[in-house]
Amino acid sequence: MASFVLHGKSLAAGVAVGRARILTTGVRDAPRRRIAASETGAELVRLQAAIETVGQELRAIAAELPPEAPTEAAALLDVHYQMLVDSTLLEGARVRIERQACNAEWAYAAQAEELVEQFNAFEDPYLRERASDVRQVVDRVLRALMGAPSSAPSPLESLASLVVIAVDPAPADLLLWRQACAFAFEASGTASHSAIVARGLDKPAVVGVQGAADRVRDDDWVLVDGDAGVLVVNPDASLVAQLEQRRRAQEENRERLRRLLPLPAATRDAVPIRLHANIELPIEAAQALAQGAEGIGLLRSEFLFLNREQPPDEEEQYQAYRQTVEAMAGRPVTIRTIDVGADKVLPSAHLGASAAAIENPALGRRAIRFCLAEPALFLTQLRAILRAAAHGPVRLLIPLLTHPEEVAATRALLQRACASLQERGVPFDAAIPVGGMIEVPAAAIEAQAFARQLDFLSIGTNDLTQYTLAIDRGDDRVASLYNPRHPAVLRLIARTIAVARRWQRPVAVCGEMAGDPELTAILVGLGLREFSMHPAALLPIKERLLGITLVQAHAQARQALRFGEAGA
Amino acid sequence: MQQREVTVLNALGLHARPSAQLSQLASRFRAEVWLTRNGRRVNAKSIMGVMMLAAAKGAVLLVETHGDDEAQAMEALAELFAKGFHELSAAAS
Repeated sequence: MASFVLHGKSLAAGVAVGRARILTTGVRDAPRRRIAASETGAELVRLQAAIETVGQELRAIAAELPPEAPTEAAALLDVHYQMLVDSTLLEGARVRIERQACNAEWAYAAQAEELVEQFNAFEDPYLRERASDVRQVVDRVLRALMGAPSSAPSPLESLASLVVIAVDPAPADLLLWRQACAFAFEASGTASHSAIVARGLDKPAVVGVQGAADRVRDDDWVLVDGDAGVLVVNPDASLVAQLEQRRRAQEENRERLRRLLPLPAATRDAVPIRLHANIELPIEAAQALAQGAEGIGLLRSEFLFLNREQPPDEEEQYQAYRQTVEAMAGRPVTIRTIDVGADKVLPSAHLGASAAAIENPALGRRAIRFCLAEPALFLTQLRAILRAAAHGPVRLLIPLLTHPEEVAATRALLQRACASLQERGVPFDAAIPVGGMIEVPAAAIEAQAFARQLDFLSIGTNDLTQYTLAIDRGDDRVASLYNPRHPAVLRLIARTIAVARRWQRPVAVCGEMAGDPELTAILVGLGLREFSMHPAALLPIKERLLGITLVQAHAQARQALRFGEAGA
Repeated sequence: MQQREVTVLNALGLHARPSAQLSQLASRFRAEVWLTRNGRRVNAKSIMGVMMLAAAKGAVLLVETHGDDEAQAMEALAELFAKGFHELSAAAS
């Protein structure tokens, strides 16, 4: 069998080899035939039975939702259930069976297509998108009608050796197949509901693999390389052996690091260091805890806002933040307010210039600048955060501070948010610590103006490096010049840490530098005692910390400040 | 038969979840429940029908209930609209 490679992009790291299982969609193979008048009754019964089967499927999935499932999963399943039993769809299908002599599959698919077309004609992009919900429900019913219940695994099947391949699976399907060893999707989004669910499963996964569902056959031998973002069909033996070796090395590495889990994070000479996690979604809190995070140092709240037409309302945000706070069980959760511009938060936005018209988005109206310009949106988020704070320790983090007035303006809005919650009689915590991101060079140079007004600081080294060196990392032609070890960057970090310590304010680094073991000693040497990073980096950094002493760290920091660029 | 005009108050309009709430509530009554907007009349017990109205915030709908518990049905539906589907508004406070 010829081996071939399909390219996509990484959704979750790791490698796995298994037998392919294609999750088909029912629509394209639905049989269409005219029925005799004597068959009408039987077709109606078949349709009813299929609806009942799917209803049981959906209820079973809802009943077994894992606690870490996104808050929306249950509501989505409920919407799907109601679409399933909807009279508009069923009555239309019944009429087609009775009067137009269509078989059940044909009648149901045709009626659904008519509905989908009406959805597609909507001007409101949010409603237009609901056509995909209708299709997902219809797929299930058609599969049930055709006796091809491939949406649900057979209880006899061992899922652990299967690689699930699908075009754009429904979150419910993924939950059914969560024991598979790897996933590959044709859809390319990494922030869709399905992608979020898949990432939470912590198995190798690739997305954007075009043609996967057509070119791969059930039971083909496939390899998913979640690190490189590729799907290899019928891989040859040497490649499998090579990847098996890599997988074993990764496993051994993981095992060694796992043994560090119970140890407190500290340098070799017992200087305690706090290790926090950066996460994007509530479901990732469990992963952070599993890697030994002592808190969430950065919850990137904008991920709740992306890939949707309407921003989440206060209740939805509150539920998401509360879910995180409860999962962290008494450990601090630092929620950073929306850190993107209007173009990303509201795709259909009428909020000022369009993305294409902005020449320099990194210097534009983003993060706190955007939030202060959109007080309604910002107040909604602040109220949700204040309410979540009633369930455990929450800290509020303001991104991209440049002017001290931005802190005052945020505090004023925070008071307004408190007042309106008070009026509504909703529980909240008004005493929430307010911190700021130091990521603009101006803020690092004037760090004392911010330390004075804020309860804590957090250094965002990605933006700080980009702004200090005037380098856009996304531009391949200059990306090689991006170097967070540049002495100018290190000096700004050192200055911010020193000022924070003088004002007795906690200070953390939450950029990528915090998760780079090569830089751990330098940061400790600069006085840093709190790191926040991707959960996967927590144990490698702990391992590094346990190997260095404060004296070594100081020596490395001094040297880095002197020769930073040479990396010596 | 009862008739009443209601206004969509929640920020996102009758999107999937409010439509689900509305059709679930309407289905609890024996009375027929119809919604009309811009000349389009749909069965309120059908989530698809409700979503087809594409009613955004501020839209005015005519609710009709017809049957032996039509008064209770009307009260319950009017209350759901008045409360903005329990979805807190994104407007500034």
